[in-house]
Amino acid sequence: MAEYKNCYLICYDIRDPKRWRKAYNLLQGYGERIQYSIFRSWLSMRSREKLRWELEKILAPEDSLLLIRLSHQCVASIPAYNRPGVWSSQEEAYRIV
Amino acid sequence: MQAIDLELASLIKPVSDTVRVSALHALAYCPRLFYLEEVEELYTQDAAVFAGRRLHAEIEKQEDEEWEELFLESEELGLRGRLDALRTRDGQTIPYEHKRGRAHRDENKQPQAWESDRLQILAYAFLLESALGITVKEGRIRYHADNVLIHVPLDDSGRAAVREAIEQARILRQSTHRPPVTDNERLCARCSLAPVCLPEEARLAHNKEWQPIRLFPEDDERQVIHILEPGTSVGRTGEQIKIARRNQPVEKVPARQVGQLVLHSFSQISTQALHFCADQGIGVHFISGGGRYLGSFDSRQGSIQRRIRQYAALSSPDTCLELARKLVVCRGQGQRKFLMRGTRGKAGGEEALRKVITQMKAVLKQVPQAKSLESLLGLEGNLAALYFGALPCLISKEVATELHFNGRNRRPPLDRFNAMLGFGYALLLKDVMNAILTVGLEPALGFYHQPRSQASPLALDLLEIFRVPLVDMTVMASVNRGQWDTKADFEIRGEQVWLSETGRRKFVEVYERRKQESWKHPVTGYSLTYRRLFELEVRLLEKEWMGEAGLFGQLILR
Repeated sequence: MAEYKNCYLICYDIRDPKRWRKAYNLLQGYGERIQYSIFRSWLSMRSREKLRWELEKILAPEDSLLLIRLSHQCVASIPAYNRPGVWSSQEEAYRIV
Repeated sequence: MQAIDLELASLIKPVSDTVRVSALHALAYCPRLFYLEEVEELYTQDAAVFAGRRLHAEIEKQEDEEWEELFLESEELGLRGRLDALRTRDGQTIPYEHKRGRAHRDENKQPQAWESDRLQILAYAFLLESALGITVKEGRIRYHADNVLIHVPLDDSGRAAVREAIEQARILRQSTHRPPVTDNERLCARCSLAPVCLPEEARLAHNKEWQPIRLFPEDDERQVIHILEPGTSVGRTGEQIKIARRNQPVEKVPARQVGQLVLHSFSQISTQALHFCADQGIGVHFISGGGRYLGSFDSRQGSIQRRIRQYAALSSPDTCLELARKLVVCRGQGQRKFLMRGTRGKAGGEEALRKVITQMKAVLKQVPQAKSLESLLGLEGNLAALYFGALPCLISKEVATELHFNGRNRRPPLDRFNAMLGFGYALLLKDVMNAILTVGLEPALGFYHQPRSQASPLALDLLEIFRVPLVDMTVMASVNRGQWDTKADFEIRGEQVWLSETGRRKFVEVYERRKQESWKHPVTGYSLTYRRLFELEVRLLEKEWMGEAGLFGQLILR
């Protein structure tokens, strides 16, 4: 029952500005936007299901949502075949400002 | 006369507190779960809970006019709850429950309702009858994992079972004793409250042969953010924490990934941000520019039952003495074993170091026989004097003399080593306090340190078992690795020595990296990070006065 985190890509297409704003604000609380409609977030199973639930309350059937889980191996090799600076490394458990 | 009559009537009327139907479900699943949720007001939601809520949110979009959502309360019956009901063409009203998992299978492999689900749907049916005055023939449960619909008829035995459960719930709510861990350990693997209840650890406490399965998460999933620069402002924007430094671009952090905010020196935090942290369960802690722990933002809710039991237990001098003995043994053993590590790899080792190790062993043998807290303090003082007297021997010869030290001193620190120890203990105290607040105990009442006007005795007590593995070893290792610049990382003011801003920044990094390391708990046998260990030790301490003693204070290096 260890709660390991995986990297998730969260892709969406939301067809109403009001719902989009709500979903966008919620996703900003979970991770960072890396493309126009794609967020990246490090989630455990618990936080993934919580996010899914919160998004489901916002979205309508006509909206699109896709979560993609990346294994740690996949994440490690992403910079090798992409443009420089597209992908920053995993966040540490602490942050010093 | 009429007013008096009304008063008398209201006085005579019995107090009837209604029970939530979902609480009955918890009771049927596990009485201990019911108690933790209803009496101790502990609610932890795991992945399955959120997945269930998502299922309901999805189903709501598909439902049409046939469905009703009702909130009902019946004082006569003693129940209340929110339920979905299906109104059929022939005028029947049928309560309906959606379950994400799969159905129970009987001996003939036929799908059946799980016992707790069955009680829940019967309670909903009975509540419908009682509140609306209609006849309800059955309830239905859909198990979505294997797409099975179960019909549960409501009959007199079902009604009697519901009444009996309500009565049992009322009795348990009046009790001050937490029910024991359930015998069916498979229930615990799927329970969202397992990290709080610690059932595997309780089984180990009662049965030393038990091999605990890990139900306690290995690592905290959220970040600790240290705000080190004076004048930095912390605020809230939407679902993000906003950090604004002078003459720097504003930084934003996703709030769901933050577990603690640590404000050093004179950073600022807005009221909106504090409200947000309280709501999201983010700990907020304050440390002075000189590296002293000042306090924490306390956003605990509920948990008063835990504190009442803590007050009762720690009002007993015998209990305090027993716990204090464990504490002194744990710390002293840690100190001694750390010194023993210093003799490894050295040809013959240092004679002075060996002598101290032998003396400490003799003092440690006296600790279990200590008859009072005062004599314990004396023994601990002996151990500390021996330990800090020998600690300089562990410093490598290649280390600059400015980083050597001669005995423990504080307020103010007189050398660089003590400055690092002091700052490390402040960071450690902050983490211990965060764990105490998370678990819901009272920091102001400890068992070894006495109540004072400033520091929190319970936090100081628990600090003792973490000092060596998290601060002493970390400082010593970083000194021997040559990580410190004796000029840039420290500030000398007369006799006083403090860490500079670059020094504090470096120290926080060294400390937080240490916390990330995994470690195998010597008693439970599973591995977890030091960061997570804080919360586990506080929970094991709470078990010491809840009839599941024996696991606290076993945190000793090999």
